[in-house]
Amino acid sequence: MKKHLLALTAFFALGAGLAQLSELPPGPGRDLAFTKCQQCHDLGYVLDSAGIDRAEWKDLIESMVDAGLELTPKEFAILLDYFSTYMGPNPPPPPEKVKEKVALDVKGIDVYTKSCVACHGKDGQGVPGAFPPLANNPYVAKDRVYPALVVLFGLTGPIEVNGQSYNGIMPSFAHLSDAEIAAVVEFVRTNFNAELLPKDFKHLTAEEIKALRAKKLTPDQVHAYRKKIKVK
Amino acid sequence: MKENKGMDRREFMKRTGATAAMLGLFPSVFNVARAQAKPTADQVIKGKDPRLIVHNTSTGVLETPLELLREHEITPKELLYVRNNQVLAGGKTLEPIPLKGWFIEIVGLVHRPAKIEATALKEFPQHEVTMVLQCSGNGRGFFAKYSKKTHGTQWKHGGMGQTVWKGPKLKDVLEKYKVEVYEPAAKFLTANGRDEPSSKKPDFEHSLPWTDPYVRENAILAIEMNGEPIPAVHGGPVRLIVPGYYGTMNVKWVGTLRFEAHETYNYNQIPRYRVPLYPVEPGKFSKSDYTFENSRPNWHQKIKAVIFAPLDGEKVSAGLVRVKGVAFNDGVVPIEQVQVSTDMGKTWTTAALKPGKSTFGWTFFEAPLVLKKGEVEIWVRAVDKLGRAQPLDGGIHWNPSGYEWNGADRIKVTVG
Repeated sequence: MKKHLLALTAFFALGAGLAQLSELPPGPGRDLAFTKCQQCHDLGYVLDSAGIDRAEWKDLIESMVDAGLELTPKEFAILLDYFSTYMGPNPPPPPEKVKEKVALDVKGIDVYTKSCVACHGKDGQGVPGAFPPLANNPYVAKDRVYPALVVLFGLTGPIEVNGQSYNGIMPSFAHLSDAEIAAVVEFVRTNFNAELLPKDFKHLTAEEIKALRAKKLTPDQVHAYRKKIKVK
Repeated sequence: MKENKGMDRREFMKRTGATAAMLGLFPSVFNVARAQAKPTADQVIKGKDPRLIVHNTSTGVLETPLELLREHEITPKELLYVRNNQVLAGGKTLEPIPLKGWFIEIVGLVHRPAKIEATALKEFPQHEVTMVLQCSGNGRGFFAKYSKKTHGTQWKHGGMGQTVWKGPKLKDVLEKYKVEVYEPAAKFLTANGRDEPSSKKPDFEHSLPWTDPYVRENAILAIEMNGEPIPAVHGGPVRLIVPGYYGTMNVKWVGTLRFEAHETYNYNQIPRYRVPLYPVEPGKFSKSDYTFENSRPNWHQKIKAVIFAPLDGEKVSAGLVRVKGVAFNDGVVPIEQVQVSTDMGKTWTTAALKPGKSTFGWTFFEAPLVLKKGEVEIWVRAVDKLGRAQPLDGGIHWNPSGYEWNGADRIKVTVG
């Protein structure tokens, strides 16, 4: 609620054309925006544009499609509605009551499809040189805390996976709930890395994610953590 | 989990409590938990000053705050702004890239295509130019302030710097290798860098008018910036430099130069980096409305003056206040006059000018004003020897992508 008040304040100030949003405001389509926009650039570019009208958002999203963004017609409509409603020239509508998700309802594959598939691929295969694979990735398989940290805080710095180098920026997906993060990490580890899992494999819980979230690491610190993982 | 010292994780957590366990499990660097901060400029691009404003971390888009920009006549590499659409692999650093092994191909409407190793560029007569390098989106944020916001990075004035470039003229290179451009069929020079787009994106390239003598005569295949090999992030080892043109046309990491009868159809040439030729209403001119006929690319820079001191919002003492700053244009003619007003443009004072080393660089201005206590708006506008002046209301040049802001600069100061 506090966050939402902040967002509202920012929107009223936008009338002057000067205010800057510091994060994506809550609303339907926010998750999709997180996923799609951050494939190529961080959210600064999106937040910078807050306050433009629907026609301009349409133009902006279309120009991103020109630049290689892949959207289904449905996704296009969701993003256009979200941006023009919650980041348009007018204040957003009052917040809808968000139903508290019960951990059991969250399916890792759904989170994966929603948030990860665009860069890391349907089978976790990644894109060589651009987006590292999550399948048969010894770092992901060996250490269950590490993938959770990457999802929570992002990752920057050069890495190597199975002999291939990567130097991109993995954005933070901290907007996902604890249960969603636990579920997606579990999905990636058991589904894509079944053969590499350690003998003493343990399930990851939402409570653990909650504790990790409180650590507030930087992407650099996650990179440093990765270096300490011993992989054969 | 070797840091666990052989203890079973679950047992360990039982013993120490979950929070302590988390701390204990992490290498020492994690023990100081700090708020998740946006990466600073030096983390985005190695060697940059951490005080730069970070607009985008993934490709590297950095702005120089005016209080840093104004400290130097030539903007040091650590402070120079960066605007990358895509980056050469390993290019997010101020370190240079060797000339050896770097090849440039000259192709298209030419008699003899050439492939040149960059080391050969050192053998030519070297030309040095001091010039303003400016992003064509520089000042976009002022459209939001004074007329209507457009999408894109909301630059203030810090998407520019004064830089020195050195290298052979392109025309000398063409002559030496007997390339012979087909005249008059070849109307455009299209430059493409060795940088690669992220997946699925079309590659970045730009076309410049080969019919413009400022391109034909002045274009340099630069191999030095500010007296040293060009930092990788600024387009080294070889950058196409066309003084007077907006930064985006000074293509980085030059790999291919094509002579062509038509501008490239690349989306960075159309609809991006273009302005309509006539005034358009917000929301009434969309991306698909741009044609080669009804719009033009960000080529020649528009005339502009920027106040370096005092800064917007600053408190100054009543009495004599020296208003200082820089003015520049496309370098075709010198700056004729810079005028200063403290009464919303009713009356103007002429500032003293100190021209730079070349017409392509900054002309420095200074105007002594006597200010009384209270809130004062200071307006500044430049006029060049062709009579081209800045509009008092920059919003009249509003365009859908917010390019080429050049409204009279206006700041507010509190005189106490």
